[in-house]
Amino acid sequence: MNHQDLFELAARNMRNARLRNALTTMGIAVGVASMVAMLSLGIGLQGFANHQLMKSGMFQTVFVTSKQDSRRMEDNDAAKSTESPALTDDARKTITALPGVEEVAPEIRATSEVVYGDKSNFTLLAGLPWSARDEDAVEKVSGRFFSSPTADEVLLQLDFAKKLEQDPQSVLGKTLTIRYAERQGGDGTSFSIDRKEKQFRIVGLLDEQPFGGMRMISRARVFLPTQTAEAMNLLQPSDTQQLVRAAPGERTYTMLTVRMKSAAYAEQVEESVKKMNYSAYSYLDATKSIRRFFAVLDMFLGIFGSLALAVASLAIVNTLVMAVLERRREIGIMKALGASDADVKKLFFAEAATMGLVGGSLGVALGWVIGRVINLGSNFYLHKIMKMPPENLWTVPLWLVAGAIGFAVLVSVLAGIYPAARAARLDPVQALRYE
Amino acid sequence: MSQQSDAPGALGATGAVAIDARGASRYYSMGETIVRAVEDVSFTIARGSFAALQGPSGSGKSTLLNLLAGLDRLTAGSILVAGRDLGTMDSEALARHRRLTVGIVFQSFNLVPTMTLADNIELPLRFAETPRNERRSRVLELLNNVGLANRAHHKPGELSGGEQQRAAIARALANRPSLLLADEPTGNLDSCNGQEVMELLRELNEKMGVTVLMVTHDPSLAARYAHTSLHMADGKLASTAEVLQ
Repeated sequence: MNHQDLFELAARNMRNARLRNALTTMGIAVGVASMVAMLSLGIGLQGFANHQLMKSGMFQTVFVTSKQDSRRMEDNDAAKSTESPALTDDARKTITALPGVEEVAPEIRATSEVVYGDKSNFTLLAGLPWSARDEDAVEKVSGRFFSSPTADEVLLQLDFAKKLEQDPQSVLGKTLTIRYAERQGGDGTSFSIDRKEKQFRIVGLLDEQPFGGMRMISRARVFLPTQTAEAMNLLQPSDTQQLVRAAPGERTYTMLTVRMKSAAYAEQVEESVKKMNYSAYSYLDATKSIRRFFAVLDMFLGIFGSLALAVASLAIVNTLVMAVLERRREIGIMKALGASDADVKKLFFAEAATMGLVGGSLGVALGWVIGRVINLGSNFYLHKIMKMPPENLWTVPLWLVAGAIGFAVLVSVLAGIYPAARAARLDPVQALRYE
Repeated sequence: MSQQSDAPGALGATGAVAIDARGASRYYSMGETIVRAVEDVSFTIARGSFAALQGPSGSGKSTLLNLLAGLDRLTAGSILVAGRDLGTMDSEALARHRRLTVGIVFQSFNLVPTMTLADNIELPLRFAETPRNERRSRVLELLNNVGLANRAHHKPGELSGGEQQRAAIARALANRPSLLLADEPTGNLDSCNGQEVMELLRELNEKMGVTVLMVTHDPSLAARYAHTSLHMADGKLASTAEVLQ
């Protein structure tokens, strides 16, 4: 029998037991819906978490340090670490030239006295790379970002601005003075420190800690452009360390932050930097365990979700076994008319597959609706109660749609194995004997 | 030998013998005892003849018919239908035999009650993978031959017994078999309808050259329609006689 005939007969048989087949198909639909609902929640949560991490710009960032600095931590590898070159300006240029690199900036942090009107605060100052401007890393700037990479402008942490003025917004456009320690000279054996002052214009306020609070500079209260900070020759905590260690005459960096144009370059850049014999670290490494967690979560959600489908598959077995009993005579007739065992078997498989296909499609639709409803509900909660922006916690990707329907068909056909074999085995003489 | 050609039997069969049974036996075991339903039966039926198989209930007529139809398997002996040995066939080849070489007509018609007559007659054509457009014209032709063209879209329950049996005969002939096996085809019909069915069988036999083997326990039917009459008793062939017309 060809496939068209097979499915025509299957459809006819299913119409003849409409209610029973409809109920079984609904069972599959509910099973698939629960599986789709669970999995899309897992995928949605994973996407949400990834999005949060992406916002921090972390996947686009590689941190480079000289192995000299980690000597004490890895004393087992002392010989090797001495070979690691210092992070010099030359190294910075080489790394900047790597494909996909957008910006290489040192992490600059310094303590300073910030004077605003009659108020004076001793606080932490940090450089914010220019590349941070076009991404979510610096979230919710009221006011604006720096006007240029070398502007004499600062962003303030909102809490810090509150210390300065009753209404923090009123500091925007005003000027503050930063009193800082400048490092002068530096032939490698000595340098001197001078007190300097510089005026800055306050252009913006930061609601949150930049980079999702995941970096050292995140905890600073006052941010200025990294290039401006570099030009100021701020005395940094690591300067004494360099001096004591008698580094070569030129300036070295404790750490360089490499910003890629996209996360896709991260691995490649990390590899190149390691070949230059520096230590490289990216959050891609750190999030491996997070991704593993989500893989396990998805698996568990999938297993729970497919339990209902397993129950539904028993309903398929039941329905088809009933059909075999009920259609004994019809099967006997078909065999007498020349249907082979394989034809009979295929007919029952076709019926099972049809239930799987219809149930799977309905189930995906149902799962999608359930997902939308839960998403709406949770967003309503986020918005009204938590005053948080809406998030898409629910994702039904195309592969899940196709996969769920395919899985439903597969499970249905597997459930059809026993009834189909039973129908094929039926002895036509026995089946036709009784009225 | 067991490999059949797809050529329709009535035209493709070779030789003058439609059925050649040699020592055909079929035993069933019922617990401890062995039931010898058919025992050591040998006979031949010539191509194009009309044969009646007679005998009391339980004499093994239906079992022999099932063996010839390829619905049941021999315990011993051999049966050749249209020159092909049923004993050597696997289940797929037997299905082919039922599909193309023989047509089976039952006492209780055995039409699928949920299908229209046209759909019932189309079934064997589906199994034979006859192309769709050819199928439609063939179904019409068959319905015409048995005088049921106007009943094509009726379900069996809406028809008289005689009409149902004629439809069943049309279905049995769908793939142009060379041998028609009829198991008490008039057993469930009144005499008027029974006669109509018998006339139809005779017409098929005479005009289309289909060999007919009919099980019956009505001696008058055998006498009136059959060329050859076989008598069975207790699973054995009691006698074979040429019927003089």
